[in-house]
Amino acid sequence: MLIYAVRRIIATIPLVLAATSIVFVLTSLGGDPVTAKLATCTTCDASAYQRLIDLYELDKPIYPQRYLSWLTDAVSGDLGVSLTQGERPVKDILIERGKNTFMIAIPAFLLIAAGAVAFGVYSAVRQYSISDYVITGASFIGISMPTFFFGLLLQFFVVYWLQKTGQKFFYTSGIHIDTFTEYIKSASLPIMTLILVSLAGESRFQRAATLEVINSDYIRTARAKGLPERTVIFKHALRNALIPLVTVWALDFAALLSGAVVTETIFAWPGLGRELISATFAQDLDLMMGVTVVAIFLTVSFNLIADLLYGVLDPRIRFD
Amino acid sequence: MESWTRGSALTEIKVSETALELAIGEEITTEAKSLGRQTWERLLHHRLAVGSGVILILLSISFWVVPNFSPYLFDQVAAGPPRSAPSMSHPFGTDPIGRDLMVRTFTGGQYSIRIAALVAITTTLIGAVIGAISGFFGRWVDASLSWITNMVLVIPALVVLLVLALRYGSGPWAIAFIIAALSWPRIARIVRGLFLTFKEQDFVQAARAAGAKPARIMFRHILPNTFGPIMVETTLNVGAAIILESTLSFFSLGVRPPTPTLGNLMEAAKGAIDSRAYELLIPGAIVTLISLCVNFLGDGLRDALDPTTKRSR
Amino acid sequence: MALLEVKDLKVVFPTDEGLVEAVNEISFELDSGEVLAVVGESGSGKSVSAMAIMRLLPKTARITGHVGFDGQSLLDLPMKGMRRIRGNDIAMIFQDPMTALNPVFKVGAQIAEIILVHRDVSAKQAMSRTIDLLEIVGISEPARRALQYPHEYSGGMRQRAMIAMAIANDPKLLIADEPTTALDVTIQSQVMEAIKAAQDATQAAMLLITHDLGLVAGVADRIQVMYGGRIFESADADGIFYRNRNPYTRGLLASLPRLDARTQDKLYTIPGSPPNLLRMPPGCAFRPRCEFALDICKQEIPGFTTVEEDHVSRCHNIAGLPSLVESPS
Repeated sequence: MLIYAVRRIIATIPLVLAATSIVFVLTSLGGDPVTAKLATCTTCDASAYQRLIDLYELDKPIYPQRYLSWLTDAVSGDLGVSLTQGERPVKDILIERGKNTFMIAIPAFLLIAAGAVAFGVYSAVRQYSISDYVITGASFIGISMPTFFFGLLLQFFVVYWLQKTGQKFFYTSGIHIDTFTEYIKSASLPIMTLILVSLAGESRFQRAATLEVINSDYIRTARAKGLPERTVIFKHALRNALIPLVTVWALDFAALLSGAVVTETIFAWPGLGRELISATFAQDLDLMMGVTVVAIFLTVSFNLIADLLYGVLDPRIRFD
Repeated sequence: MESWTRGSALTEIKVSETALELAIGEEITTEAKSLGRQTWERLLHHRLAVGSGVILILLSISFWVVPNFSPYLFDQVAAGPPRSAPSMSHPFGTDPIGRDLMVRTFTGGQYSIRIAALVAITTTLIGAVIGAISGFFGRWVDASLSWITNMVLVIPALVVLLVLALRYGSGPWAIAFIIAALSWPRIARIVRGLFLTFKEQDFVQAARAAGAKPARIMFRHILPNTFGPIMVETTLNVGAAIILESTLSFFSLGVRPPTPTLGNLMEAAKGAIDSRAYELLIPGAIVTLISLCVNFLGDGLRDALDPTTKRSR
Repeated sequence: MALLEVKDLKVVFPTDEGLVEAVNEISFELDSGEVLAVVGESGSGKSVSAMAIMRLLPKTARITGHVGFDGQSLLDLPMKGMRRIRGNDIAMIFQDPMTALNPVFKVGAQIAEIILVHRDVSAKQAMSRTIDLLEIVGISEPARRALQYPHEYSGGMRQRAMIAMAIANDPKLLIADEPTTALDVTIQSQVMEAIKAAQDATQAAMLLITHDLGLVAGVADRIQVMYGGRIFESADADGIFYRNRNPYTRGLLASLPRLDARTQDKLYTIPGSPPNLLRMPPGCAFRPRCEFALDICKQEIPGFTTVEEDHVSRCHNIAGLPSLVESPS
């Protein structure tokens, strides 16, 4: 398995190089930091201009020279500096903002995984019951609703409640993490928003996977053995129904980052997603690349983890 | 025995793909149910898909018809007092510069639907062609196309979407093409899988043995068989595209005002949720409704196309 | 009193296209240690009746009648009581060993599980019993094999593992549902021998369900031929093989390959196909395929005629059947 993991990592390298190349070229073509800088900086003179050109090697072609020099730095751990934040190292920003993002992304991920299993298995076991219809219907609505609309709806309800009762249970913007209560109050709405789409999709997925499993021969065998229904469902069925879900978990965790862009923008949560938006609008090249690298890294590693887990869960798979 | 193929970095395992299908698809069981319930269900089932289709058609018609009967133009400033609440003359109210929001909403729906249809068709075309070639020719063609597919999947779509939209996007066409350029891998994988399966089947082998050329085999023998799943995917893509368009607009990166879309109407309204929430809720509800109907329709289509779900036990 | 007593068992499935009467008022008894073979084509209701006894049918199936087992009425038992019987007093061997074992658990663990759920033993004791069982059913290197997953077993070995699982708690009744159908022809008889050996070892009664009359020769004490959800003929094994009085039984027998047949003889097949349970013909279900059919067969479902002691046949035209020319071989 270790050999397999190493081989997979090696096989991923060209993929990552190609992906970063494309994003690098696109971002570099898409924005010129000097123009962006000069537009905001009235006192900058020719020397500042020259310094920027040197910093970004703007006199060289984008590809491969500029990309290669970015890559060399990146591999050695230097992701450059953010022009819009007083040339603060991108790495520092990523770590700080990354923490904030994970503060909502990790609870969201756990809730999605647990919720999907709970709803999916429940509605599969109670197929065609009222609760199955309710869960399925809610999933469909969840899948069909734009994330940002859901986030704004949540804000609307809180504001409406405030106007009606004068009480505000949740913060609708900003990060407050001094105490745990404060954290719950400020993180709840972003987390709920992050959860929506993935939870809806995964519940449906889990329901289908569970249905497929509980109609299989080996579940009939388990019942014929005289096992309690609990054991039949939670040991024999769930163990099989979880296998395909692991891949979805991995993909969804990576997708949480995209969700974070929307969520953090709505709730003014200072995480990676919001950083990406402001970097994009400000044409802050290194910062954009930094966030991109984090996203690519997460996608690739979660895929690898998913595949390895798949092998652990399903004995039929051998890594060779 | 099934072959448990382990692919490169991001290839999902076969099983998980079928499971993915199932996730969006309908019941896989043909388990026996009580007669009354079954009749009810079939009715409900057809009703959902048919009802969704009817709603979609009615909505689309209204998007084209209502603006023509409105006394105002969608970009007509000061059609009424600014920020007025819904009234007889302005059922959806007016925006800060006095434009009539009802005509803007329906015109916006028109643009959103247009963009979504464009995205769905473009995505399907790109994805189906790449998937078909990949699955049909196999070997290095498949290997390299699959590699490209995986790479597109690794790229954080939103980053590219933002950059591209910021730099190139403002017209409906540009937006549609940008969304399509990032959405094709999914359908490419599905079509590839279908071609891989059909390639090995007897009727294709027979055509090959009879000396049919590759192009003929692809278009005359295999393609018709993949039509159903491609239709389903295209339908579902319309829903995804409507959502993506509105999301891009939310970041002010979609179609620029004064041309309205459901997305940029919501964007314009997001600051007013404490005072004029309806400005957000109306287009938001329409987007959700369209997407919901499209999902139900796609689901029903998939069911109708799958003979195994129709059969009684 | 008989170990298993089935009376007027009826199973109806509601489907999209209407009601399916899969099993129609069948009755039979099975004594301890006795082997009863239920033979019929697919759709004859033989598997469904076994599932009904075990109460493994989907909830929507409507089951009526009486199933008495060891003094208890199985259809009236609460689910908890039924679970105590399943895998303990009544054990089952299924048709397809490729799918009947859970792919993600080790074979040994799956066998040990059935012991642990019914017996108050330690995991270690259960495992050592498991290894003994594997040995009994003829799996070599049982200790190593117990730690393997189902996909590492061949089809025949998986079925042996299923047999081991079935006899793990010394059941009073074994139900084998087409136990060899999914297997290679070459190993069918081996597996059948293993089943017979396991049945001998546990002294269990056995309900052997199959479409293959040839398979039950030498194994079954009694044979019951089913068609279209009804029992068509029931007798001891010799009665079915040599003194049968039913056109369908004859058709089944004639379609068996025979060692003494001349090579140019074509193997007999019953004309037509099994009835569609949704569109059962009125009268006798076998009539459309029967060469001895009378006019009455179109209107009236034949009742049982007692042919001899403990031998009944469902046919309007028993008198019209030619006498069996062949002498017992």
